[in-house]
Amino acid sequence: MPKETAPQQSRFASILTDIHFWVPVAVLIGGLVLLKFLR
Amino acid sequence: MQSTLTPTLDSPAQQTSRARKLQLLGILSGFTAGAWLGAAEAPTKLVSIGLSPMVISLIMVIGVFLARWSVPALILGTSSVRADIRRAPHLIIWALLAGCLWAVANTMTIFAIRDIGLSIAFPLWNSNSLLGILWGFLFFNELRQAGWRRWLGVLGGALVMCVGAALLAIASSGAAPAAHSLRGVWAALGAGVLWGTMYIPYRKAYLTGMNPLSFVTFFTFGELGMMSALAVTYLGVTPLLHELQSARDVLFWLMLGGFIWVIGDLFQQYAAKYVGISRGIPLSNTNQLWGLLWGMLVFGELHGHSHSLYAQVVGGSLLMMAGVAAISFSSATSSERTCWKQAAHREGQRYNIAADYVEARMDGRQAASEAKPARTAIDWLLVVAVTAIFLYFATTARLPQIPITWPASLVLSASAIALLLICGAALYRTTRFH
Repeated sequence: MPKETAPQQSRFASILTDIHFWVPVAVLIGGLVLLKFLR
Repeated sequence: MQSTLTPTLDSPAQQTSRARKLQLLGILSGFTAGAWLGAAEAPTKLVSIGLSPMVISLIMVIGVFLARWSVPALILGTSSVRADIRRAPHLIIWALLAGCLWAVANTMTIFAIRDIGLSIAFPLWNSNSLLGILWGFLFFNELRQAGWRRWLGVLGGALVMCVGAALLAIASSGAAPAAHSLRGVWAALGAGVLWGTMYIPYRKAYLTGMNPLSFVTFFTFGELGMMSALAVTYLGVTPLLHELQSARDVLFWLMLGGFIWVIGDLFQQYAAKYVGISRGIPLSNTNQLWGLLWGMLVFGELHGHSHSLYAQVVGGSLLMMAGVAAISFSSATSSERTCWKQAAHREGQRYNIAADYVEARMDGRQAASEAKPARTAIDWLLVVAVTAIFLYFATTARLPQIPITWPASLVLSASAIALLLICGAALYRTTRFH
């Protein structure tokens, strides 16, 4: 779960430490690898 | 369109009444999404020439791209999109990510259908609803403090729908599975995982307060960008252009399919916003039922088949409807909605979004600090340009010589339009499309 952070934290850092960002990114990378394998 | 601010709801009775209205609105949006996503298959059935599936997908996505900009411009105006993005610019990243996930998943379904047939592939990727329930629970506090009855209704309903979908898919598929069965299974499961995960960005955006009409305009850049990259990688630039050129006669039908799909997807977005992804995804998965109706009644699919096959279709349809009913009656309790609000508060704090904006948008209204959305000349220009593009391709289109049952087509089209009008009016009255 994402941690609550101070509002002052930069938006970029907030994105990079957000699990909601990394889960779709990981799934997308996995999907592209699978697609390469499927070809 | 004139936007009216809905007053803040103070008393608990008002809040409960509003929450119930929004739940019903989300359920109605899910049903309408199913009807339009299913109807989107109809124009593509008119295309039976030997086009590469990648090209078919790309042309549909071009239609999707045009619709994703013109429809929001027509409904609220692009000034509303700009205002939303200024408040929550970080969501552009998630919109692009969701678009990329959609494009890769859609490409995988092509492999899955080719390798294992629609009958096995469709139920496998329809498992996206189960993954949606997991992500909704883990990340967005959905089904928290919901009680075992709600859990049973949502999870049980989604599982029953998967069984119903499997029966319908087996009945609607005449093709025997091809040789590369394991590869097809991986492709179908991959599509399900990608589509199920695509709802993380959706829910994140709507908990943060973004309007679905704003989110989809950026989603489509990811969608078109990734689809173009895949088409170029798979086919190469010259063969791709050659295929596009040879598809001139059917470009309109495919783009129309994309346009209709966008209307369904917009309602799907409102369903995800107002009932959450754990309930919204299974409801919009009823598109399979509508697709089957179009196939059977309009295009004569399954005509002359055995009684057992029709029994399978009826059984599968009843199971899907039972699953939908179970989910529809499992609306969120006030304690679950409080958990949703906690998740929204967490998002607002993390990305420094004004609390009144997040709260107002969760209630389907504008915040007091927001300007009324207004259409400008740019919006009308967008609508006129997209209409002109569609009209141009309509003049170059050719209606393929395949048997179509027009009365059934009219009845299904009228049903979809009736749902659009009813749900659109309800969305306007209750939320002004927020």
